[in-house]
Amino acid sequence: MTCVSWLGVAQGKISENNQNDWNAMWPTSPAIARARTLLYAAVLTAGGLLALAPALAQDVTSVSENDFLSDMPIVLSVSRLPQRLDETPGAVTILDRDMIRRSGARDVADLMRLVPGFRISNAFESVAPQVGYHGIFGRYSNRVELLVDGRSAYSPFFIGSIAPGLQTVALEDIERIEVLRGSNSAAYGARAFLGVINIVTRHTADSLGARGAVTTGENGIHDALASVGWGVGSGSFRLSVDRRADEGLEGAYDRNSVSRVNFRSDLYPAPGHEVQLRLGALNLDAGRGQPNWALDPQRPFGFDSAYAQLDYKLALSSEEDVAFKLSHSQERYREEFPVGLLNLCPGLKDPYKAACFQAFTPSDFYSVNADGRASSNAVSVQYTQRHSNTLRSVLGGEYRSERIVSAPLYNTSAAFDTEFLRLFGNLEWRLAPDWLLNAGALAEKSSVTGNTLAPRLMMNWHLAPGHTLRAGVSRAFRPPSTYEKFADRQFDVPLLGVQVDTQATGQTVPETLLAKEVGYLGDFSAWGVAVDVRLFQERFDKLIDIRSGRIGKDYANNPAFDLQGAEYQVKWQPWQGAQIIFNQTWIDNSHSAPGDDEINAATPRRASSLAYFQQLPGQLDLTLLHSENSAMGLVADHILQPRRRTDLRLAKAMRWGARRGEVALVVQNLGSAYADFKREHLFQKQAFITLRLED
Amino acid sequence: MTRTLRLLLLCWALCLTGGVARAQPPEPSARVVIVSSDTAVAYAQAAQAVVDTLVRQGVARSDISQVFASELVLRQQSGLPLCPAVCVALGSEATRVLLAGPVKSPVVSALIPRRSFERLLRSSGKAGSALVSAIYLDQPLARQLALVRLALPQARRLAVVLGPESSAFAANLRVVAAAHEMSLQDVTVNNLDDLAESLPQLLAQSDVLLALADPLVFNSSTIQNILLSSFRARVPMVAFSPAYVRAGALLALYTTPVQAGQQAAEVVLGILRGRPLPDRVMEPNDFEVGVNTQVARSLGWSFDVDVLRQALRRQERLP
Repeated sequence: MTCVSWLGVAQGKISENNQNDWNAMWPTSPAIARARTLLYAAVLTAGGLLALAPALAQDVTSVSENDFLSDMPIVLSVSRLPQRLDETPGAVTILDRDMIRRSGARDVADLMRLVPGFRISNAFESVAPQVGYHGIFGRYSNRVELLVDGRSAYSPFFIGSIAPGLQTVALEDIERIEVLRGSNSAAYGARAFLGVINIVTRHTADSLGARGAVTTGENGIHDALASVGWGVGSGSFRLSVDRRADEGLEGAYDRNSVSRVNFRSDLYPAPGHEVQLRLGALNLDAGRGQPNWALDPQRPFGFDSAYAQLDYKLALSSEEDVAFKLSHSQERYREEFPVGLLNLCPGLKDPYKAACFQAFTPSDFYSVNADGRASSNAVSVQYTQRHSNTLRSVLGGEYRSERIVSAPLYNTSAAFDTEFLRLFGNLEWRLAPDWLLNAGALAEKSSVTGNTLAPRLMMNWHLAPGHTLRAGVSRAFRPPSTYEKFADRQFDVPLLGVQVDTQATGQTVPETLLAKEVGYLGDFSAWGVAVDVRLFQERFDKLIDIRSGRIGKDYANNPAFDLQGAEYQVKWQPWQGAQIIFNQTWIDNSHSAPGDDEINAATPRRASSLAYFQQLPGQLDLTLLHSENSAMGLVADHILQPRRRTDLRLAKAMRWGARRGEVALVVQNLGSAYADFKREHLFQKQAFITLRLED
Repeated sequence: MTRTLRLLLLCWALCLTGGVARAQPPEPSARVVIVSSDTAVAYAQAAQAVVDTLVRQGVARSDISQVFASELVLRQQSGLPLCPAVCVALGSEATRVLLAGPVKSPVVSALIPRRSFERLLRSSGKAGSALVSAIYLDQPLARQLALVRLALPQARRLAVVLGPESSAFAANLRVVAAAHEMSLQDVTVNNLDDLAESLPQLLAQSDVLLALADPLVFNSSTIQNILLSSFRARVPMVAFSPAYVRAGALLALYTTPVQAGQQAAEVVLGILRGRPLPDRVMEPNDFEVGVNTQVARSLGWSFDVDVLRQALRRQERLP
């Protein structure tokens, strides 16, 4: 029976044995119910949203047969029920809140070490710490999409990057991170070329009250967080303010700080309706460069961003719902430094060196500037329907407009506008009780780079309870970013005149990826073991890379190459209070280029990580994390180095009445220092203490 | 669609019979009078089940009449006996009206929760009457916990949110939970703010959430927050009506109006055959188990509701 009893509730009509309420139990045709629901939705969105909330409070009444016989609004509607991990069209790793806290990590990028196939850099040399799947392939994390509560936090500035977005929210505010390993363009667009990091923040209803955390330690580590959550009527809210600061890698710029404020509200204006509003701002003050290098001196830079996001979800029936999303984000990058021409002279050979010293004085310099702004607006709608027990579909569309303005990067103060229209759909078809087919595609139209279509086909077979085999193929495109297509960077050098640093000829075409994978998920609950295996073959073609051109640097497409290999994760609970997570990835990179092969060097042949979590008596909690990989190139240095890092965390939980707290000691990189990003930048051992309090 | 069509037809048919009852006062000769609280489908289904069961057992259709509670006043004014042999009160309002006047023949109340019946009995001053009995709509706690144990054998920590109405069950619940080797995590809330504050912590310490009817705690306004919170915490809800299963509860244990009507008819038959009215209230002897298969699938479970229902019946040695 399709019923709309909540209409009566919304109008404040429910009372014991109320005739109107009973009338709502009479059968209503689904079409009428849907029409009423949509009409009501329209009224709500038209402006009565918050004003209605007080009217929703139901009379407190005695229990009656009403409570047993009345209908209820659909809450866990079709799109709220996520696919099980063994039914997703691809490999997924979930980092939950507990694991995040126990890892001792201070930001999301550092956590990605726990995800098979991911590689990280803790440097702020490319705005913020970076992550990459199967090799970073360049200096920016621009081939993985980042979603924060469904909003793309992909920065369009430079060549595109998720690194600053990864700093958007405090770890304390995160409920879980879902990492979709491997191409997901068929669901999330071109930027999900190699995967998606989906950060889900804590629901406000789960974080009522006040919380605070303070971290202090070696290497100038000073982090602080204050967060308060409250509820009013049928809504709940959270405001978090936090800052993380340290002195960065040894040999790098010595001050990095990230300050942010985030607000989230969850409102239920009427049963079946959900509204979420999120606002936030980020300020990142850090630095980059190297000592004693005139062209790349150590200098500060700043990155500021802000966003607003409005979500509205509506359950049309138990079998269908619709979600609307509206978001705006803007960012500003600030960096300017002088290059003293006299400082260039020591690097020259005689006789040029002598001439150089004679030609320039300390007042001869040119300015290098990378200031700029970017903004984006996006609106999307997604309709999910369960047609039957064996067929579910998701259809949606997104319109996104992005604007980039940067005179230093494009040699014009004109704005570069790009409009994207995305249409996507996925069909989840249970061919037989144990066979599930996911077929999906995303068509993207870019006003600058044209049309692309990313399809995916994946079959999941539950060969036995707890054991699933998965096989599929997908195709993805990543069109060149605005900078890769239109970069025009020039410096006005005294005596020499205008010098071109980078000038994109705009000849690049979208890079493509054809990914084939076979996966296995095994649950051996009798032994406390869960296994996740992914065998992959990824054929990259026309990968966009920067190289020296006729005048300055230019972006160009690379010839095709393959990555093939395997990655797996084993989770094991060997004894009481213990959990061991072991990851390994082997990659064979067929890319070959004369001289330094940056792309080949970016992927280690083998990477492993081991996490051991142990609860100990006396409310103690121990974590040991070890990660290592075979020799690979640094992000901005072709020197091949293996890397080993071991972290230790020891925490004690405390409780005073209703208040809870924890004090934790973390030592990162117990072993010797290793180079990160460039050979001169070292990740040294660092220890810090964190105190958390929760009201 | 077929289900909706069937229900529409049923409503249409029942409305017609209701219309006849509305047009004429009940036959004075009718020995069994079924009093419905109002015209809602649930009462009509239960009334029809009483009639069908009685007729199947040989009671003449002319011996049965149906009336709405609001129309009983007419009969009271006429001075005729309200229930020549036996009255079946369907719902709180019907029970209230019947108890308001003198009770001279047996009254069987059905489709009524325990708390409602006890309250009406007290307020009418007929608590000691041997002529009034009820078949409760709420399931015995032991049955509810037995279902939890059968369906979710790993769940040992039972969460319960009690309100002003359901807090009366707390002591009994603790005993029954212990008997089922479960520890009880309960909070009592007196307003919605209490609920919002205590729910996340309660769910964090629990394996399963048992919903007990209390309009302050569980209503169409609060269910959204409760179900979403429990789903986020992966603590499934076991509820008391099929509407909650449709909304997103994992399981529900409930008696349908038809089952309640059939059980009431069995009691009526006994009275007609000369047996005394049972001297105590009765638990529902038939019930259904509802499951939300999509929620179950998403949480990684699968249930056969018939197997669960039969297992519960076997445990209680019900036929």
